[in-house]
Amino acid sequence: MAELLSKPAFREALEDAIKGREAKNASFSQAWANGELSREHFARWAENHYHYVGPFADYLGYIYSNTPDTATDAKDFLLQNMYEEELSDVRHTDLLIRFAEACGTTRERVMDVDNATAVTRGLQGWCYAISMREHFAVATAALVVGLESQVPSIYRRQYPVLIEKYGFTEEEAEFFDLHITSDEIHGERGYQIVLEHATTPELQARCLQLVRHGAEARFSYTKALYDTYVSPEPAVANPAPALA
Amino acid sequence: MPTIRFSTSDREVEFADGDEVNLLRVAIRNDCGIPFKCASGNCGTDRVRVEAGADHCSTPRRRERERLGELFDQGYRLACQTYVNGDVTVAWDPEQIGLDAGSKVYDKLRQVWLAKDDGG
Ligand code: FES
Repeated sequence: MAELLSKPAFREALEDAIKGREAKNASFSQAWANGELSREHFARWAENHYHYVGPFADYLGYIYSNTPDTATDAKDFLLQNMYEEELSDVRHTDLLIRFAEACGTTRERVMDVDNATAVTRGLQGWCYAISMREHFAVATAALVVGLESQVPSIYRRQYPVLIEKYGFTEEEAEFFDLHITSDEIHGERGYQIVLEHATTPELQARCLQLVRHGAEARFSYTKALYDTYVSPEPAVANPAPALA
Repeated sequence: MPTIRFSTSDREVEFADGDEVNLLRVAIRNDCGIPFKCASGNCGTDRVRVEAGADHCSTPRRRERERLGELFDQGYRLACQTYVNGDVTVAWDPEQIGLDAGSKVYDKLRQVWLAKDDGG
C-alpha cells in the first residue's frame, strides 16, 4: 500500500503533476505571447473563457459545502476567493467582458454558451463535477492547484503583449493584471490547504491524479482554441458516403 | 543566491538566481508573517516598507500606485503586487490592518447595503 508522503515530497509531486502539461505552452498561449493573434482571436478567447471562469465562485461554493466546520482555514480561503471574484471590486467576469468588448465582441455574445467550443463546455462540466463530488482537499487540488495556480505563468507573458503590441489600455486589460498577482496567492494558499488536509495516502493519490487531469483539461481547452479559431482543419468538401 | 529579508519577523528566504518571485507568495509559503487579505491590491493590509533593495522590486502598476498613494513615495509597496529579482529587505507593523476607510471596497459594500435599505 502506498505510504503517506511528507509535506515537502507531496508538494513536489503536486508541482510535478503539472509539469509537461502547462497551458502556457499550448499553441494558443504561445501564439498569443508571440504576438501572432488578432483582436478577433482574443474576442473568441473571451467568449470561451467566460464559460470556464464565469462560474468559478459557484465551483468554490460547492467545495465550501463539502468542507467540514473544523477546516476553518479552508473555509476562510474559499470564502475570500469567492468574495474577490464577485464583490470586492469590479466583478471579475465584468472585467473579462470589458476586455471582450474592447476586442469587438459583445456582452451578449460572450454570455451565449453556444459561442463556446465543445472542449470549453467539457472543461466547465469537469469543474462542476469535481467541485460537487470530491473531498474538499481533492477538489481544491484540482481547481486551485491544477487550474488556477497556472494563471500567473500564462498571463505574465500575455499581458505585456496586449499593452505593448496591441495597444490595449491598462483598464481594458485589467482582467489579466489582476489575476497575475491574485492567483499567485490563491495558488499558494491552495497548496497549503491541500498539504494540510490530504491526510491519507488515498487522498494524496487522488489529489495528484486530479491535478494531472486538471492540467490536461486546461491544456486541451487552450489548444482547442487554436485548432478552432487560428488554424482550423480544412472543411471536408465531399465527405465520404457512409458505409451501408 | 538572492535573499529576501523579512526584518519584522527576523526571517530570510533565498530564491534561485534569475527568478522573479512574488513577495507575498514567498512570505506565505515560508510563514514569514506579512499580514494580508485580498491579494488583489485593494485592501493594503500587506503594505511593507522596503528598507533595502528597492531597485530589485518590480515597477508598480496602476492599482498599487492608487492604493498606496503617498505611502508609495515614503518607500512602501504592497507585497501581493510586488515581484522581486534580487536582495531585498522589508519591514511592516505586525498589527497593521487594511487601508480600507474610504476605499473602493467599502464604497462598494456601502452601495450594496444602502440599496437594500432603500428597497425596504
Ligand atoms: S493583500 Fe490586499 S492589497 Fe495586498
